[in-house]
Amino acid sequence: MDKILAVFARPDFLEKLREHIVLSVVALLVAIAIALPVALLVRNTRLGAAIAINIGNVGRAVPSLAILALALPLLGIGFKAALVALTALAIPPILINTSTGLREVRQEIIDAARGMGLSESQILTRIQLPIAAPVIFAGIRTSAVQTVASATLATFIGAGGLGDLIVEGLQRRGPEILLAGAFSVALLAIITEIGFGWLERAFTPKGLKIAQKRR
Amino acid sequence: MIDLALLQDVLQEPELIDWEWLKENFWEDIVPAVQGHIFLSVISVAVALVIALPVGILSARYRKIYPPVTFVTGILYSIPSLALFAILISIPGVAIGPTPVIIALVAYSLLILIRNTVAGLDAVPPETIDAAKGMGLTGRQILLRVELPLALPIIVAGIRIATVTIIGIATIGAYISGGGLGALIFDGINRQFPTMIIAGAVLATLMAIIADLLLLGVERYLRPWARARRA
Amino acid sequence: MKNRTKMIRAVPLLLAASALVLAVACGNVGGSGDSDSGGGPTITVGSKNFTEQYILGNMYAQALEANGFSAETKLDLGSEQIADKALQNGQIDLYPEYTGTSLVAIVPYKGDPAKLNSPKATYEAAKKLYAKRDPADTMLTPAPFNNTYGIFVRKPVAEEKGITNLDQLAKESKDLTFISYSEFQNRSDGYPNMQDNYPALDFGKIEIVNQLGLRYTGLENGEGDVGVGFTTDGQLTSDQLVVMEDPKSIWPFYYPAPVVRSDVLEKHPKIEGILNSVNSKLDVDTMRELNGKVDLEQEDPEDVAKEFLEKEGIVK
Repeated sequence: MDKILAVFARPDFLEKLREHIVLSVVALLVAIAIALPVALLVRNTRLGAAIAINIGNVGRAVPSLAILALALPLLGIGFKAALVALTALAIPPILINTSTGLREVRQEIIDAARGMGLSESQILTRIQLPIAAPVIFAGIRTSAVQTVASATLATFIGAGGLGDLIVEGLQRRGPEILLAGAFSVALLAIITEIGFGWLERAFTPKGLKIAQKRR
Repeated sequence: MIDLALLQDVLQEPELIDWEWLKENFWEDIVPAVQGHIFLSVISVAVALVIALPVGILSARYRKIYPPVTFVTGILYSIPSLALFAILISIPGVAIGPTPVIIALVAYSLLILIRNTVAGLDAVPPETIDAAKGMGLTGRQILLRVELPLALPIIVAGIRIATVTIIGIATIGAYISGGGLGALIFDGINRQFPTMIIAGAVLATLMAIIADLLLLGVERYLRPWARARRA
Repeated sequence: MKNRTKMIRAVPLLLAASALVLAVACGNVGGSGDSDSGGGPTITVGSKNFTEQYILGNMYAQALEANGFSAETKLDLGSEQIADKALQNGQIDLYPEYTGTSLVAIVPYKGDPAKLNSPKATYEAAKKLYAKRDPADTMLTPAPFNNTYGIFVRKPVAEEKGITNLDQLAKESKDLTFISYSEFQNRSDGYPNMQDNYPALDFGKIEIVNQLGLRYTGLENGEGDVGVGFTTDGQLTSDQLVVMEDPKSIWPFYYPAPVVRSDVLEKHPKIEGILNSVNSKLDVDTMRELNGKVDLEQEDPEDVAKEFLEKEGIVK
């Protein structure tokens, strides 16, 4: 047990932790920056939304290792390549959930709002987004946890991260190194899951929370 | 951020895919990899179902066991795949190869399969169950002839997600000698041979997408209201 | 019960589909098992997963095949630990290990392997400890060349700074980026060993890339100035890389030697002679050339092995 703690005390542990977190955070932010606007743009067209959701569904099926490995011949080794791959992996859940969330807002509500004279953008910000918020956040949360897990594989294309520890533990007789790496990533994933869960609840409008409880 | 010059350079590189190699080694390297991957995936889903369905049914009936079941399977799910593989083969008795890979793949899919089984059973309207009871069916008959068929679409949705996840993670299993398409990927990385990497990655992706679409078809076929809308 | 009818109809269909899929899949199961029809007792040859190992593994398997054995291969064992586990489990019967590596990573050697001052001493120490294991293993006669760590520098950098050996490199290291890997950084015979012997060593930046081939790629792309590989790597034939000399001889000897489980060897003593006949034909330049054919010319390790064995008359 103290051997595992000794790994945490290693000077390169913090470096790998930092790499892992940076990879995950940046990939997630860029994915949000791409997926949200796209989903918003197509929200009102039936075809557009359907295409977005279908692309998202296909994208969600792609194996993480495959994308990371494909980045290798195209973008070389290292951080940048892994970042591109992880971003691509992070987009689908956000795209799917944002699109479906926005589409779930009942047409009558939107019509009523139009009747009251609200502009399209007002409808978006005051009605559609707040109602869709929980679903959108669920998508971001799923994407975040998935990204943290996939970043473990960045080690295979020389991009660092906590996966390095797991590989090292396998290459030397170092179960404590391996366990330290595994434990760290698992903990990171759980923290991400819980943290985003809080965010989700924080952003759910009160009215919706009451409605959800009633259901 | 992305080095466009490097990207252009690489895309123009004629050597990126060596079609000759692919033709020559199709039966020797590619087909066994595909077979191995299908084997890993199918066995894992099957074993996972054998465990998850009964556990799910029990959890739906005896609610008290559901939270601990979710907790345990949730922990298993949050352990990164590479780590779980590595931990499994560190255990003295465990052989390397497909076995630890299958064990890990099963462990991963338990959460979603159990969750969807419970959700599917929960979604059965109580009135339907009462009607069945009224008709004199026993508990077991109700389960088999009423609840499970009605829960099927949601259960299949879970099977779909589990299958796609398993196909994806099985690629990593090659690192502990589990075979499958990941072997092409890792070999390609070790030998600096993009053709193998691309072959393995593309095939794994295709397999996952095909499985996803097939099971989506099954799922839609089983949803009565969707069919009613079409009619 | 519309759903019930559907489910009943669906079941035989699904069963048929699954049976078909399983039939396809059961054509070949698991790792890279390669069953040849050499007749005779079956020996499973393993190897770790880098090029030199693929070539050695294939050569051993083909030589055994040519001499009355039926050889299966399992050439995807990710590391010493995995390979050793497979050996002790009986999943493989032999694999090529390195004398120095076994002392550092596998058998419980209490001293500092780098202090053993001859290849023979290194081999003897490893052999003794392997024999004491349970199940016991036999480390056969090593091939006559040393595959030790090679620290290589990009040519422009080496020329600009005028460095040809590790001592000079250490002094210039502050401005240089080193592409290394986790195991090397933390293994007692790796980076710490370098620092102990060349105390001026202090790289400006260290990047961790765990795959051997990728480290060369990284250097080619200019992501680093210095890298670590092995002296028989094919990439080192490139004139763009300069291998640093090691005036203090800080590393243990890493002579490739097959490790066989003793019970297998007892049953088939011929194995020793066959593997020796392969190993005796190898040296650093030959190995580097063979490695280069796979890594640089993208030939298949199996073909490279076959070509070589045919040339040397070990296989017809």
